[in-house]
Formats: sequence, structure tokens, C-alpha cells
Amino acid sequence: MIKVKGLNHSYKKDGKYAVNNVNFEVAEGEIFGFLGPSGAGKSTTQNIMTGLLQLQEGEVTVAGYDVKHIKNEMFNQIGMSFEQSNVYSKMTAKENLDFYRKLFDVETREPQDLLDLVGLGDKGNIRAGEFSKGMKHRLTFARSMINNPTLWFLDEPTTGLDPSIAADIKDIIRRENKKGVTVFLTTHNMYIADELCDRVAFIVDGDIKLIDSPKNLKLQYGEQLVEVEYIKDGDVVKESFSTIKTEDKNQLKDIIDKYEIQTMHTKEATLEEIFIKVTGRGLK
Amino acid sequence: MKKMLIIFMRDVKVNKRDFISLYILIVPIIFGIVINLIAPGVNDTTINIALIEGENIEMQEYLKDFAKISVYKDKAELEERVARRDEVFAYVPDGDGYYILQQGDELEGLLDYAKMMLAFYEDDVQIEDSTAEIHDFGRINPPLKRLLLNIMMMFTAILGGMLIAINIIEEKIDKTIRAIHITPISRTGYILGKSIIGAILPLYGSIGLLLITGFSDINWYQMMVLIVVSMVVSILFGFIQGINNTSVMDAAGSVKMLFLPLGGAVAVAELLSDKWQWIVYWIPFYWTYKGVDEILTYQSSWQNTLIYGGIVVGISAVVYILLIPKIRKGLE
Ligand SMILES: Nc1ncnc2c1ncn2[C@@H]1O[C@H](COP(=O)(O)OP(=O)(O)O)[C@@H](O)[C@H]1O
Ligand SMILES: [Mg+2]
Repeated sequence: MIKVKGLNHSYKKDGKYAVNNVNFEVAEGEIFGFLGPSGAGKSTTQNIMTGLLQLQEGEVTVAGYDVKHIKNEMFNQIGMSFEQSNVYSKMTAKENLDFYRKLFDVETREPQDLLDLVGLGDKGNIRAGEFSKGMKHRLTFARSMINNPTLWFLDEPTTGLDPSIAADIKDIIRRENKKGVTVFLTTHNMYIADELCDRVAFIVDGDIKLIDSPKNLKLQYGEQLVEVEYIKDGDVVKESFSTIKTEDKNQLKDIIDKYEIQTMHTKEATLEEIFIKVTGRGLK
Repeated sequence: MKKMLIIFMRDVKVNKRDFISLYILIVPIIFGIVINLIAPGVNDTTINIALIEGENIEMQEYLKDFAKISVYKDKAELEERVARRDEVFAYVPDGDGYYILQQGDELEGLLDYAKMMLAFYEDDVQIEDSTAEIHDFGRINPPLKRLLLNIMMMFTAILGGMLIAINIIEEKIDKTIRAIHITPISRTGYILGKSIIGAILPLYGSIGLLLITGFSDINWYQMMVLIVVSMVVSILFGFIQGINNTSVMDAAGSVKMLFLPLGGAVAVAELLSDKWQWIVYWIPFYWTYKGVDEILTYQSSWQNTLIYGGIVVGISAVVYILLIPKIRKGLE
């Protein structure tokens, strides 16, 4: 569905690259997560794929179209939800969708259905300008589905939403994906990536550090941790040890021999911990 | 093409909701009416005379050549008519003569005219009796009216640009341009769609103004050339303002700045001798003003109209070429 090869992008063309030799492929039907801290180059990559930024260097194919010579018809196939909601404040939620759907040449979804889906069913006749930030975000999200995209770009789809709505959004993404929609999800939120993505790419400073499935990553970096709580000089101490590193193993043996163990269990590393381990950087 | 109309219809819909935009949409009509009120038109220079129906057929026939006649059933109706706002004089039979009934606030010149016509009738003066030779300057319409009309027509072009600017600023504030760019409408299609409203305003505004103020017998083909040229200016101006400003208030501020070249062009064209006209050659308004004025005075030629129009398009093209990179970037 997406092929990116040797992608470079420099905003000022000054040799400073926001995206640096990025390569990846996204298969049809996949939910692909693009993870990285703010400023990593996620939006830049996504904007190049959707034609919002001019491709400078590299080969990018999206839904079978070469992005170098973008054809307008490509946009019938893709949908995009923006990180910053962007809807017409002077139009009602429904008018926003009604206007937008007319710009496509393919069958579009009923605005009311979409509003129902994102929990704005009874707010259709209110001007978007009167919406809260979260409501605008949901409207932007709903709009991105209106042309039944086969490839769906989501830039931080749950950021800033309260947890119950975020859960709804996650459900919708899962359901659309079940129907065969390929999802390219950009986020700095490891939990949503962990829950939704078939594969994730870690990106930092414009470089992709690795691409793998969350499950593999956890197998590789995660389950070898043992967390121990023990009593040392009357205080409870909590420590984690790797089960493969010899040094850690010896320390663990030592503790078991010397101290009274309170609890001990293997611990699954979060994607965030793995990210820090791999990239040496946090996600904030 | 269909999608350009969709963009246009959206603009109209939103503009109708906004006080400033709605005002801009209807203001050409208001201008037209105001011009008529403050400057008497070609047709208004004749006098309105009210008579009693059938009272004196001969007089009615005689006066018909010099005035606009309306007839009423009796004296009461006649009085009622005169009492209404506009300028009507009634000739009321009185013994074997007539007296003139007026409301009291009519222009003095018109009253003299009414008196004179009555006297002419009573003395049975005919046009052939006049010994004056006639030197014809062509059809002349009141210069004040022409001036106002011409300025207002240019004004509608500025307002058309203002509407475009308002709509672009709306998209900038709401950041919706990016959402439009990921639909199948082409960027050119989008730009053209956004331009329509700015083109429609000078079109319907100018035609409306001309019709309301009674200039329906001009050379419409030549006028259309200059109106289309105004549209070009309006669109270009709209995009420049839209891209350079981040709020409608800022844009309105820059529009005010435009009255300087507009006023300057008109002032120079009207007040300075031919020797100094070059000072304002660079102002597009100067050329549209000149062209429109020639048409309104029935002195236009295709050659001049096309030259003036061509100069305006040329100036616009230079500005456009200089600004292309900025316009493209501003709409990213
Ligand atoms: N329009 C722009 N002009 C110049 N630099 C930009 C622009 N947009 C983003 N950048 C820079 O490019 C880098 C990547 O940004 P971005 O792709 O938005 O990151 P992310 O989406 O991962 O937070 C950042 O260093 C950012 O400052
Ligand atoms: Mg981003």
C-alpha cells in the first residue's frame, strides 16, 4: 500500500534534514504505527506521502500512485485526520461534512452516520466554531472517513481526547481495519500504538531506528526482566534484573540467597521502555 | 468545473452569515440607489406634471413633448399625488386659467421650468418658433453622476477582492486549506473556485449600478471588456490581501490604503491637465476609470477600450508574476 525508499526532506534546503534516508513499506490491510517524540519527522513524512509537502528526494508510492507526479484521483482513495483539527468554524458539523463529501468522485458516507459514530450525532446542526477542542477533533476524524478510504492516515488521532472517547476512536480504527482499510498511524503515544498496530517504526531525529511488531519487540526486549521486592536493612527495596545478562543473573542469585524476598515476578516491558532502550530517548 | 462551483457555493453560504460579507454582497445596490438620490440622472432632468384626466386633452398632448405626464381622476387625487415625496407639479384648473400646485420643497429651477411650460402652452409656443441654432455636444449626462458611478464600479471590484480575502483568511484561520488539498480537487480548481465570488461581485455590481442609475443605453460590449478587466484586478487583489493578512480586520485596513491610488487616479484624471496624467499611469484604476468614463459619455472606441483594458491586464500580470511564489506558498 505504501512504499518509501530513500526519503530525505530538508525544509530550508540547507542540508539540515527533518527526514533522513527513511525506508519502509506498509502492506495492505495493516495498521502501521509511526512512533517517535515530537519533532522526530513523523508529520513531515506523512505530509510528503499525502502530497501536502513536495517530495524532494526519494521514491514514494502511495496506494499505487507515484507521489512525485501526484494525480488528483489518488485522493479518492486516501483519508487523513489531522493532528490539529481543521474544520470550518462558521459552518455546522453537518455542513462541514456535506461540503467535503462533494469534493470526491467516489461514493461517500452519510454525514449523519459519521457523526453518530464519533458521538456527535445530536450536534450536527451546531456550528463547529462552538465546539470544544475534543469535538472538533472528532469531527476532523469523522471527515477523514467520508470517502471510504482504502488507505487511512491518522496523525495523533487520540491525543487530547478524554479516555472514553479515545477508546471509542480506537474501536472505530479497529473496525475499519477489519473491513480491510490500511492504516498509517502517527503518534507519540505508546499505548495506542501497542494496542492497535501490527507493526511499528521507531523514528527519532528523522531516522528510523527499527521496524517490528510490538509482540516481537516485547519478546526481544521485554520478558527477560524480573522484578524483585526484598527487605534489606528493614527497608523494602524494588529492583529489576535481566534474565540474560550474566551480571544481572548473579546479582539476582545473590539477593535470593541473602535477603528475604517479598514478591518476585517477570515483567513485560512497555513499548515505551523498549523505545528508550533502543533509541536512548524518551517520547516526550 | 462542478467542484469549483461547490467551492463557490460554500463561500456564498458562509458570506451570507457574516455581517461584513453580507453587506459587501448587497452594497452595490445600495450605492446605485444612493447615486440616484444625490445626483439627478439623465432621465430625471425632465419634469413630472400631474393633470386631471380628460380635463384638457389638448394641453395634455402639448405638454407630452416636454414633460412626463401623469393623470388623475380629480383634484383630490392630484393633491395627494403632489404631496408624496418626489418632485411632481400639478396644473390645477382655476377659472379659465391654471395654478401650479407643488409640495414646497421642489428644486427652484424645476418650478421655473413648470411655470415656463405653462406659459408656453398658454401662448401656444411651438418648438419651431425657436430661433436658436442647435450645437450638439452629444448626449450629456450629469458629470457628478458619472463620476460617482465610475468610482462605485471600481469600488465593487475592490469589494470583490475583499470578499475573496475574507474567504481565504477564513480558510487560513481554520487551517482548512490542507483538508481541501487532500481531496481530488486540483489546486488550480480550488484557486479558480475561490475566485468566482470576487469576479461575480464586480460583474453583478457594475451591471446593477449601470441599470439602477439609468445607463442602459451604453455600449455594453465595451463595458463588459472593462468589467472583466476589473474582475482580474479584483481577484488578484483578493488573493494578495488574503495571503498577506491573518485577520479580516487587517485586510480591511489594507483595503483602506487602496483608496489612495483610487482617489489619486480619479483626481488626476479629472483635475490635472494632459501633461501630468503620466503620474498615475501605473495605477490600474486610472485606466479603468478613463475607459468607463468614455463609455458613459458615449465617446468610447473599441481601440481605446482595448488599449486601456490591455494596460490593466498587463500591470496585473506583472504583479502576478512577481507574486506567484508568495501566492503558492501562502496557499500551502
Ligand atoms: N514548516 C516547517 N519549516 C521548517 N521546519 C519544520 C517545519 N515543519 C517541521 N519542521 C521541523 O522538522 C522536524 C520534524 O517535524 P515534524 O515532522 O512536524 O515532527 P513530528 O510530527 O514527528 O512531531 C522538526 O525539527 C521541526 O522543527
Ligand atoms: Mg506531528
